[in-house]
Amino acid sequence: MSFNKSLQRRTFLRGLGTMVALPFLDAMVPAFARADATKSPCRMAFVYVPNGIIMNAWTPVTEGEIAALPAELPRISAPLAAYREEIMMLGGLTCNGGRALGDGPGDHGRAGAAYLTACHPKKTAGRDIQTGISVDQIAAQHIGNDTKFASLELGCEDGVQGGNCDNGYSCAYSNSISWRSPSAPMPPEVRPRAVFERLFGSDDFGQDPVRRARQMSYQASILDMVLSDAQSLKSTLGATDRAKLDEYLFAIRDIESRIQKTEKQNSLSTIPTLTEPSSSVPDDMAEHSKLMFDLMTVAFQTNMTRVITMLMATEQSTRSYREIGVAEGHHGLTHHQGDKDKIEKVTEINRFHVEQFAYFLGKLKATQDGDGTLLDHSMIVYGSGLSDGNQHLHENLPTVLAGRGCGTLSPGRHVKYAAETPMANFFVAMLDRMGVTVDKIGDSTGEIGYLSDL
Amino acid sequence: MRTPYPIAASVVLISLALTRAISGEAPRTARSQEIYQKTVLPVLSKNCFACHNDQVKTSGLSLEAYRDSSVAVKQTRVWEGVLNMLSSGQMPPAGMPAPSKAEVSAVTGWIENLLGKTSAPANPEGDPGRVTVRRLNRQEYNNTVRDLLGVSLRPADEFPVDDSGYGFDNIGDVLTLSPLLMEKYISTARRLSRIAVFGPELPQKPTVLALFLPKKGPEVSVGTSTGVVLPYSIRGAMYASYVFPVDAEYEFRVRVNNHRDMNGVDYEAPKEKFLESLEAAKHGPPGLQEGAVPEGGAGGEGGVAHVRKGPRGPRKPPTPEELKAREEKATLAFPGVQMVLTLDGKQIAGDFIEGDTNYKYDRPPVIVRVPVKAGEHVIRASFPALADVDDPRRNINPDGRRRMYIEYAEVAGPYDPSAEQSESRKKIFVCGDESAACARKIVENLSQRAYRRRATEREVDQLANLVSLAQRQGDSFEEGVRLVVQAVLMSPNFIFRVEHDPKPAAGSIAAAHRINDYELASRLSYFLWSSMPDDELFRLAKEEKLGHPAVLEAQVQRMLADSKAGALVDNFAGQWLGIRNLDRKPPDPGRFPTTDDELLDNMHKETNLFVTAMFREDRSILDFIDAPFTYLNAPLARHYGIEGVNGEEFRRVELTDSQRGGILTQGAILTVSSYPTLTSVVTRGKWVLENLLGTPPPPPPPNVPALADADLGTAASLREKMEQHRANPACAVCHLRMDPIGFGLENYDPSGAWRTHDGKFPIDASGTLPGGKTFNGAKGLEELLKSKSDLFTHNFVEKLMTYALGRGVERFDRSTVDGIVQDAAAHNYRFSTLVMDIVNSKPFLMRGAEGAKP
Repeated sequence: MSFNKSLQRRTFLRGLGTMVALPFLDAMVPAFARADATKSPCRMAFVYVPNGIIMNAWTPVTEGEIAALPAELPRISAPLAAYREEIMMLGGLTCNGGRALGDGPGDHGRAGAAYLTACHPKKTAGRDIQTGISVDQIAAQHIGNDTKFASLELGCEDGVQGGNCDNGYSCAYSNSISWRSPSAPMPPEVRPRAVFERLFGSDDFGQDPVRRARQMSYQASILDMVLSDAQSLKSTLGATDRAKLDEYLFAIRDIESRIQKTEKQNSLSTIPTLTEPSSSVPDDMAEHSKLMFDLMTVAFQTNMTRVITMLMATEQSTRSYREIGVAEGHHGLTHHQGDKDKIEKVTEINRFHVEQFAYFLGKLKATQDGDGTLLDHSMIVYGSGLSDGNQHLHENLPTVLAGRGCGTLSPGRHVKYAAETPMANFFVAMLDRMGVTVDKIGDSTGEIGYLSDL
Repeated sequence: MRTPYPIAASVVLISLALTRAISGEAPRTARSQEIYQKTVLPVLSKNCFACHNDQVKTSGLSLEAYRDSSVAVKQTRVWEGVLNMLSSGQMPPAGMPAPSKAEVSAVTGWIENLLGKTSAPANPEGDPGRVTVRRLNRQEYNNTVRDLLGVSLRPADEFPVDDSGYGFDNIGDVLTLSPLLMEKYISTARRLSRIAVFGPELPQKPTVLALFLPKKGPEVSVGTSTGVVLPYSIRGAMYASYVFPVDAEYEFRVRVNNHRDMNGVDYEAPKEKFLESLEAAKHGPPGLQEGAVPEGGAGGEGGVAHVRKGPRGPRKPPTPEELKAREEKATLAFPGVQMVLTLDGKQIAGDFIEGDTNYKYDRPPVIVRVPVKAGEHVIRASFPALADVDDPRRNINPDGRRRMYIEYAEVAGPYDPSAEQSESRKKIFVCGDESAACARKIVENLSQRAYRRRATEREVDQLANLVSLAQRQGDSFEEGVRLVVQAVLMSPNFIFRVEHDPKPAAGSIAAAHRINDYELASRLSYFLWSSMPDDELFRLAKEEKLGHPAVLEAQVQRMLADSKAGALVDNFAGQWLGIRNLDRKPPDPGRFPTTDDELLDNMHKETNLFVTAMFREDRSILDFIDAPFTYLNAPLARHYGIEGVNGEEFRRVELTDSQRGGILTQGAILTVSSYPTLTSVVTRGKWVLENLLGTPPPPPPPNVPALADADLGTAASLREKMEQHRANPACAVCHLRMDPIGFGLENYDPSGAWRTHDGKFPIDASGTLPGGKTFNGAKGLEELLKSKSDLFTHNFVEKLMTYALGRGVERFDRSTVDGIVQDAAAHNYRFSTLVMDIVNSKPFLMRGAEGAKP
């Protein structure tokens, strides 16, 4: 087992205040990298930005329903121009679940919770939160068994502490975009170091392989023990309490299965250079997101997971972007009511986000993956649950689909779908390309076309 | 769109309907409909339909839709809302035709009747309610492992943020357990068990254990590093807390940066004190006037060496003689300033830093080695003289960098670590040998404390088996014990606070029952300490004495006096007042250049100390509104414009003028209810209504245009701009309640400082509330709030009860809450009375039946 050597690298790193660039050694591998990639699996990721985008500085001007992406893109999407052969920009997609539909204000709470679930979240600030299962979790449930992590949820902004985030909608609705079940959000991990440790393991099992094996067997015994504890405890409790214990049971079983997968896999492959991030979280979002995107690239490359969601900031985020000279909070600015100065500032923020995404695309494109690059073998979505943040519109959502989807996509185009085309139809199409066939998710009415040539 | 219903809910609904039918609801409902038709509908039609009809649908409500009485009697949610609006006087809005008092009573009476009938029969008034099993939240986890194992590491700070409900993060129904969190529980269990049994992993020889890097400016990140980034302090201070692994000596190495720019300084006349020299800086940093932003901003370095340009490009480098002369003058002009290093407030180093004109990179760090006990301690390095400077920007050079500041601090060690048995081992190894009997004793002790109840034989057997398992594999007895620690930390009996129903008689469901003494001990300790019960509580539970009224009272008094009750300040008050999110809402450093991170932390501390005093001195909770004292140190006092306070330490200050008093005028509250660049009368008004009075305004209608803030203070005053709120009756309904409160606080800017003008407009802090009551300024507002002491108390009791119980307060709790409010009034609203009344209440001492949902 090659875990041992990965751990030596960590202890080497356990140094003092100095950044160490890792030497690339064949022998230093995580245990999950694929042996050889004759057919690389497809990956999917969703990168989310809140509060909408200034659409007239985002949407390229083209004729007709499908057109080639022009060489020059508007100000906000301009950083993606270098990748225009590998991306598609999609217009017209709608998330009806985010609309009020009689529930009154709360568009931000709804937008985040409806985006990947295509369901109308229940208006509550308390205990009975309910939306749907998100598309990434649907994929994870089907294909997650093949990888160490069924999915990863990352973010650059911590959840808000507090009950009522948006007009009667619980903060749980905007703290995560990924939902394992209609009432179980998957909160993102925001600390790069913690993500690193999840991916590469922390070395607290010890280094000596004999001792390692023993420690892991102890842990297995303990897991079995607490699992049976939980089952017998559950049988003594009332119905509502039992539902809480179910969360515990699900989580333990998930971890046990992951451990079993660890023990089965045993292959060598290449690993990129990666430095262990510091334990503090960078203030500068460019720095923070770059660390996260680096980790996401490695996670895909080493096949530790094939499904990732990345929440750049929580829906209704009030973060100031002092990195680019914007002192006011993001959300407040997006309610510009036509004020030119505010629109300008929002445009700057939107563009800043896209620049970070472009960095991610660059990393994916530069990473070999079997007979192509990671970008060739991925479907990466960038978007927001709102288009016009000022008016809280949930239609014509700004959406980019990057990557070639293992040959199932024909990028380089700008597609304008008919108004009110459900976003969920797009998700059904994506799932199909991941080998996951679903009849319907959320409010889908079918599968959209124009993503690949016939 | 799909809204999937959980199956459980449908079952409950069906069973409710069945029960209703069985108990003969039908005739009573018919009577309800009759009354509705005859009495209620006419009132609604005359007074409400004008706005709440199918076309206009004000606030999304059409009452016209319920002309049909058979439909009307089914709309419990709607009538709840109507009842709320009518009884709080929010409806009908002022200026609209109003029904007579009798008419209003007829409607509210009918609604109350209707609601009383349709609540589930299992929920009569006075039902104790039922809290869903809840997992430990982050604070509780940290405190519990500290008390259980003696490990103060605070591992839960790395766990995902807890889900909140009803304003608090300890609500059973709301807290979820994600797979990510479970992973953290498991890896933390491994790590903590190792540290508790074998001690922390210590380096072979003393090394640098931590590197602290204070920020160099409000916006500049220090970049990726392996150091701990600390808040920005214009006065150049650095403060952090650190968990020292073992009793030993540790070395603190503090690098001081010191560059007293000569630009504009009259250094011909030497100054006795550093402060005087700063005050005398002839021009000071450019643009240093009130409200203006100095060229270097609020301080901040880009980490780039600053090249000073003379009138004709870069200057010639100075000759050695020039350099020496300059340094001599600097030393004269800038006398030594003391840099003080403290550990938990006690000084361990106090070097004098002489004046310099360059950063003197060859100056060695200040190094001191002292013995420190294992555990969490607070380290602070600062220049106390700077605390007394009126404007902290005097510590900023013309190029924007600070004159004196702590560049970094390192903690190195441990030197000569003690070989004595750690606290953790004492708690775990309760007997001295490695026999099977001893193993069993250890297991019994550990499991009982971890599970907060007696462990069953089976549980003890299983855990004891882990010890023998380890030994069979060739590992030590201690390793076996470590496995036991790891296992209990991963067990659902540790992670969840479980309460059992007594076994019901065959065929029936468990009824409402009194919780047992162990469960009571947990409820008490998590309420007052956010942690597990201590030995005394466990003992009383074991002896079944805890439930006796006299014992219970004595315990509550003891617990409130214990330092662990500080958890009530951090967790209850921190969430009630909303100041936990203070560091997410810093005022814009561009507009408020003297409000650095350290000032925000000082504000947080002020409010914490104030609340602590309120609880410890068992004061009347009404003192929250207008207590004439607070806690200040020099920087905060200067920010508030209060004289006579010098020095960095916090001390109690009696407030003699009307500008400050009670929590409403404390910086933390004023800042957290503002935007980064301007105040918001609406947010502040809402804060008061929500947190102090418990009468939050309903959400705003969609598509309300935002306030154009660019020309605020120049073209029109805030008050004029907000006129629209009052001009439109649909807006006025809510805003007439909120805006005046916010206007009353307009003298306090977004950073909590006092101001008499907003731009060129003098502040008018007067307000008129619906009903005609007028007031002026914060003092007037406080008097007004004091006059609503019942409402304030009612809200406080509800919030404290929610926190204590771990569930929202429901309709059937009304008599409990009313009783406590009455008792409070009879006992001068003392905090301990409220706590005791809650502890003695049915919801706290009992648990309702399953299926009892309101």
